[in-house]
Amino acid sequence: MTSDDQPLLEVEDLTTTFSTDDGTLTAVDGIDFDVETGETVCIVGESGSGKTVATESITKIIKTPPGHIEGTVRYKGRDLLSLPESELRQIRGNEIAHIFQNPQEAMNHCYTVGWQITEALQIHRDVSDEEARAKAVDLMDRVGIANASSRFDDYPHEFSGGQKQRVMIAMALVGDPDLLIADEPTTALDVTVQAQILRLLDDLQDEFDMGVLFVTHDLGVVAEIADRIVVMYAGKVMERGDVLDIFDRPAHPYTQQLLECLPEFGGTGGGIPGTLPDPHDPPDGCRFAPRCEYAEEACRTGEQPEEVEVAPDQQVSCVHYGPGGNPSIVRSEGHGPGDGATGGDSEVGPADD
Amino acid sequence: MGFGRYVTARVLWAGVVSLVITTITFLLLSAAPNPDVQQAATQAALQGGNPAEATERVRELRGLDQPLYVRYFDFIRGVYTLDWGWSESRSQPVLEAVGSALYYTAQYSIPWTILTIILGPLVGVYSAANMYSWKDHAATGFAFFGYAIPNFFFGIILLLVFGVWLQFIPVTYNTDVAVFSVENAVQLTIPVFVLVTGSIGAVMRVSRNESAEFQNADFMKTAKAKGVSPLRAYAYHVMRPTLVPLSTTLVGQLLALFLGSSLLVEVVFAIPGLGRLTYKALIAQDTNLVLGTTLFFTFVAVVGNLLEDIVFTVLDPRISYDDR
Repeated sequence: MTSDDQPLLEVEDLTTTFSTDDGTLTAVDGIDFDVETGETVCIVGESGSGKTVATESITKIIKTPPGHIEGTVRYKGRDLLSLPESELRQIRGNEIAHIFQNPQEAMNHCYTVGWQITEALQIHRDVSDEEARAKAVDLMDRVGIANASSRFDDYPHEFSGGQKQRVMIAMALVGDPDLLIADEPTTALDVTVQAQILRLLDDLQDEFDMGVLFVTHDLGVVAEIADRIVVMYAGKVMERGDVLDIFDRPAHPYTQQLLECLPEFGGTGGGIPGTLPDPHDPPDGCRFAPRCEYAEEACRTGEQPEEVEVAPDQQVSCVHYGPGGNPSIVRSEGHGPGDGATGGDSEVGPADD
Repeated sequence: MGFGRYVTARVLWAGVVSLVITTITFLLLSAAPNPDVQQAATQAALQGGNPAEATERVRELRGLDQPLYVRYFDFIRGVYTLDWGWSESRSQPVLEAVGSALYYTAQYSIPWTILTIILGPLVGVYSAANMYSWKDHAATGFAFFGYAIPNFFFGIILLLVFGVWLQFIPVTYNTDVAVFSVENAVQLTIPVFVLVTGSIGAVMRVSRNESAEFQNADFMKTAKAKGVSPLRAYAYHVMRPTLVPLSTTLVGQLLALFLGSSLLVEVVFAIPGLGRLTYKALIAQDTNLVLGTTLFFTFVAVVGNLLEDIVFTVLDPRISYDDR
């Protein structure tokens, strides 16, 4: 817990580019968001929208080069991006821990799970093998692995997918992190296991009093765990704010259409027509303009619109909410995903009269 | 425990393989004309005796009149009790000749093998870590050069440069110096270098390509996220899985070079080792000695493959040895 008012993690104008043979690829383009201690922030968006790159830029896990990270990432007030690699290494796995999408691949098949859990502890702290083992067994037990002390010496291939992800969570928690970054931790798992892992993460967050930054493309997951959400599209933040506000009154056309895709919110499940823009050559103006039914001339020129506060703690980057714009074009009276049935006749968003 | 049973089964199987090889060797040998018998016949004819009678006498003396199976069991017993017969050309027991030649072969083979096992994977992983940089290209160029150039030819060139022109090393190997002396180290440098260049190429390439796969694996990202330093990540998370496929290449590569190129290198550098012994035995038609060296190389190959099988299962925890 931070002593003063500053957030646990503040990301400002974070930009990550990659040099490729076809020129510079901009994966994350000047995004802002915060994570407070004890809260869960979800980054949502389509595949390829830059969610993973954004989270892996925070502690510079991305390979640089070819990657290039700019902007400011303040963790408890320290700018991580200007820290030397050796100091960053002290933070990784110790104060900020990661869980990845595919637990099958995320563990080294040549070492026992116990070795891999204790490795994270022993490179940061001066603990004996016995102490490290005791702590790892304790954590394995806590994340729900039966017979933890005998399974400590088993290899990853002797665990099921869900168990592997539990081991990965134990590995992340072994350093008592204050921030846990979970990159689609349930995507590779089957639905029943997904629910168990989400519940586990939720319990552990309370227990360890961590901030959690959770990446997902699954809005169903968001509804279950998020306190606040950040909607990303093509490397930009479209909208961010409190999860209930956004689910209830989505401001950005992209957010509206994402929610339209969810059958459980009365959507059609039809999807959003069109594809993500080329990250080598993003369009002028709003990134979503080429796929947006409300796009006007102003949407297609200049930069991504400045964020506008449409409600307390709800920011949106859309021309129609900006100076001279008319929000009612996008937001019909009382519009919410609950009445999304209006979109049932076509693949586009809510009809407007 | 499954592992103990697995090793026992592998060792027994190696025994069966060596028995099969010895049997084939025996059958080939008994089908071939015996030079001693022919020599006795010629001698008898020259001295006015009866060649047929002389042949009979020699056959009786050497036990060749016995039935095949009796000779076979005699032969097998001889092989496994290390009674490998008498070398005519060297006037000493075959085992003694092989032993003294091994003494010289070991002096350059041990350093050469150790250098290959240590340097090959290290340079390969270093190459992968700096993939497509000039360091990688230099290492790759060196690997291809060593792999492509015939060892005996490379040996002759180096001998010409360092032995004849610069006179840094003696042109012929000097057996009078002590094993652990500077002179011996100097004169073995070139043969060891030639053999290392020949063997390290394949080992480097396999380590480079395998570790290239592992250094981009998801578990490397996990390691980085845990705060593991790059050096530790390469030492533990890349090197270790690379050793699994490498172990299969390594043993085969070393054996092929040991059995093939060593002979040529020994002839070039005049080292009185196993290679030269085999070569001379062939020229002198010394059947017992040829058989002795052949059996020795065979056993080395069988033991090498046995080690490879065991190392492979030890290195890769995913391989189950319960059913085999």
